[in-house]
Amino acid sequence: MKALERHRKLTAIWASEPGIRGWFSTVNHTDLGRMFLVTAFFCFMVGGLLSMLIRAQLATPHSAFAGPEIYNQIFTMHGTIMMFLFAIPTFEGLAIYLLPKMLGTRDLAFPRLTAYGYWCYFFGGAMLIFSMLFGIAPDGGWFMYPPLSNAIYSPGINTDFWLIGITFVEISAIAAAVELTVSILKYRAPGMSLDKMPIFAWYALVTALMILTGFPPLILGSVLLEVERVFGLPFFQADLGGDSLLWQHLFWLFGHPEVYIIFLPAAGIVSTVLPVMCRTTLLGHGWIIAAAVALAFLSFGLWVHHMFTTGIPHMGLAFFSAASTLVAVPTGVQIFAWIGTMWKGRPELHLPMLHILGFFVTFVIGGLTGVMVAVVPFDWQAHDTAFITAHLHYVLFGGFVFPIFAGVYYWLPHFTGRRRFFHLGELAFALVFIGFHVTFLAMHWVGLLGQRRRISTYAPEDGWTTINLISSIGSFILAIGIAMILIDVILHALTASRGRRNPWRASTLEWAMMTPAPAYNVASLPHISSRDPLADDPDLAVRLARGKGYLGDPGKGWRETLTVDIASGRPDMHVIYPANTRLPILMSAVTGVFFLSLLLKFYWTVPLAILGVAALAWKWVWGLGLRDDPGMQPIGHGIELPNAAAVERSPGWWGTVFLLTANATFFGSLLFGFAFLWTVAPGWPPPVWFAASPFALSIGLFGALIGPIAMRLAVRKNRRGGSAVPAFVVAFLAALVLTISCSTMMLRTPAPSDHAYGATLFVLGGYGVFHAALAALMICFLVARVLHGFTSPARRAELPIVGLWVDYASIIGVIVLISGHLPGLVL
Amino acid sequence: MKDLLRILIAPLMWLALFSAVYGLHGLLCNLGITSTALGFPLPRILLVVAYVIAIALQGMLLLLLYHPRIAARSPFVRHVSHVTGWTGLVATGWTLLPVVLMSNCT
Repeated sequence: MKALERHRKLTAIWASEPGIRGWFSTVNHTDLGRMFLVTAFFCFMVGGLLSMLIRAQLATPHSAFAGPEIYNQIFTMHGTIMMFLFAIPTFEGLAIYLLPKMLGTRDLAFPRLTAYGYWCYFFGGAMLIFSMLFGIAPDGGWFMYPPLSNAIYSPGINTDFWLIGITFVEISAIAAAVELTVSILKYRAPGMSLDKMPIFAWYALVTALMILTGFPPLILGSVLLEVERVFGLPFFQADLGGDSLLWQHLFWLFGHPEVYIIFLPAAGIVSTVLPVMCRTTLLGHGWIIAAAVALAFLSFGLWVHHMFTTGIPHMGLAFFSAASTLVAVPTGVQIFAWIGTMWKGRPELHLPMLHILGFFVTFVIGGLTGVMVAVVPFDWQAHDTAFITAHLHYVLFGGFVFPIFAGVYYWLPHFTGRRRFFHLGELAFALVFIGFHVTFLAMHWVGLLGQRRRISTYAPEDGWTTINLISSIGSFILAIGIAMILIDVILHALTASRGRRNPWRASTLEWAMMTPAPAYNVASLPHISSRDPLADDPDLAVRLARGKGYLGDPGKGWRETLTVDIASGRPDMHVIYPANTRLPILMSAVTGVFFLSLLLKFYWTVPLAILGVAALAWKWVWGLGLRDDPGMQPIGHGIELPNAAAVERSPGWWGTVFLLTANATFFGSLLFGFAFLWTVAPGWPPPVWFAASPFALSIGLFGALIGPIAMRLAVRKNRRGGSAVPAFVVAFLAALVLTISCSTMMLRTPAPSDHAYGATLFVLGGYGVFHAALAALMICFLVARVLHGFTSPARRAELPIVGLWVDYASIIGVIVLISGHLPGLVL
Repeated sequence: MKDLLRILIAPLMWLALFSAVYGLHGLLCNLGITSTALGFPLPRILLVVAYVIAIALQGMLLLLLYHPRIAARSPFVRHVSHVTGWTGLVATGWTLLPVVLMSNCT
């Protein structure tokens, strides 16, 4: 088969629907990556416009440009949009677009999940932005501290938009994180062992794992605050056993890692682009990976440094001050590795390189002011001043926006297949660089003079007028620069002439394909034997196009790829992907109905939406799997692999493991909250303890014990060719018993609105009920699958996945029941 | 997965130990213990013991990562796991140092 014929056949198999219809049904990572990026940059523009309004307001004293109510909405939405609707989705979009290409595969692990995540982001983001148009946008600051944000001090719907909208958007982040983690670990080209993985993939892996463990505390905090606002459960009300500091802990447990979740992908871009710009290889590859891992973990031990002024004992402050200074070390390792890379290479000042230099200058200054505010006595002086605002902009703009611009210009020829023609970008860079530093150096200064952040105006006698005016002028220069970048990119995409493949002479696999990339990425999958495959094997791209790699025969008409062993990169599974579908957009729309119903307090539609999501989820998984044993699948070069339906650790199993990791972090945060309130909050012990019931506790524990045992029996029975249905029935009954036991705990808990103790037990019980009921539903699904012939001794992949959920429900069920009953039995 | 675990385990242990000692400190302050032992305040002794145990655990983990039977076969994973192992040890020593230097609950 000739290369062109192969290309046509593969395109027919992999292409999205033509025209606008394709936007709604595509599950292709290239399309969805682009959609993520375009939407995220639209949000960047909106957030940027809001920042210009802020600077217009602060340019002169006693400004009448916007009143305090509108100004509060403007700065809240600026922060919210930049953090949640621009930075994270930009990482997701770039990773979704690039990773399969860099890893030498054809798509991500769960294409429909990618689409679902995108539409959740789109609808959730739209919800937030529309609230602004109607003047009911969130106005409590982007970290939404109670008691300001509780129902007493923020009675309108504004705060609810934030809490519900952000939770909706975070589904997208969790979905992307699961997707990326499994894809990086399993969906790589054969031979690509961990040491040969591209550096960007390492950074994306670390970031994805951080999202899985960093975002759940925020989701929990948002759920608890919304429940407090709507139903009066007093998690954050000090007079009823709650504590507003709990919100700060939960928020910053997310919020500080978030800074590194934003920085690390950008560092991945720098580590990818910089060696190419310097015509060399990355210095200290292993050290950089270790530094990224260290940075990720250390970032989880810094959250209290945002709370230095909350009255925490000195020793507690010192722990976090020490951790905050320590984090400079792995950051420094990376910076010095990049400087060393430049030193050993021959830097060429192309446009991406200019942005990387902008990153160096800006980020290092931001890092140094970060060390300043890590020192407690300095932080006490600078806290909540414009100095902090300036510091965080140096870190986030320097550490994210400059590298993203470098990445945009570096991969632009890949996105468009065109050669840069207009050279507005260089002038735009100069304006962005100058504008940024004028704006935020001035802001450091005015902060040290005492200007608090978030104030809507000030008096001339404060002495801040000239500095604020300089800062505002700088911000408008910055805005002009960014607008010019946008124009430059649009002109490039629309008018530039066709360019050649791999214009930068890079060595990573994404340049081994046609540009713009075809829907299937590569006509056949490569075998990787070095970290720089294109540099060491210049003919690789041609051989792949001729189908000389793996899975080069499109004859079966399947969307197929293969997975590898995590460490060695040895091929281990053959995977068939699902086709285009509108199911993800439909499911995200129904998910949106759930959130919108909560927001607008149409509670009768909430159960309908939950049923709708459950029905669509059922349909989603029903479409997977095979009714006949697939047998071993030839992948080329004489190798045969089992299909993913015929293994115990299928992609779905891996996805479940990482989803449950996020879920366990959510549960762990809830337990932390319970322990925090119990030991720290005023108003404890509660007026009345939960009346323990040894009977309810015993039957719950019995259900939790029997469920996993029955599931293991079912797996064994199925493997030996027997009927697994009786064991499923036992597992189902066990899950049902656990559900009932947790439900009785919910119902019998002391009035949840009277004290945080009852409120927390109520939520813990609800968590247990949800998971036990979910496990029961999944077992029902498995029974239906067995009855319809989807399982056999060979086709066994689905059973261990449900087994994981049953195990998880049992473990958390035990903890929930003991948390509820034990104090009543002991105290 | 084991190779990935070798890389992640030491900083993960640091995170667990750091959180545990911070939690212990919070608990001791909340309980308001004022008794002494060997002439030192009991909370201080407990925290220092926890600090020493934390360093010992992290040190043992580092030794294990160097042990031929535990260490990864891949030189790359071995190198990265050693660096993250040292990171865990240094981070434990540095970030928990306040237990011997700072006032306890003020």
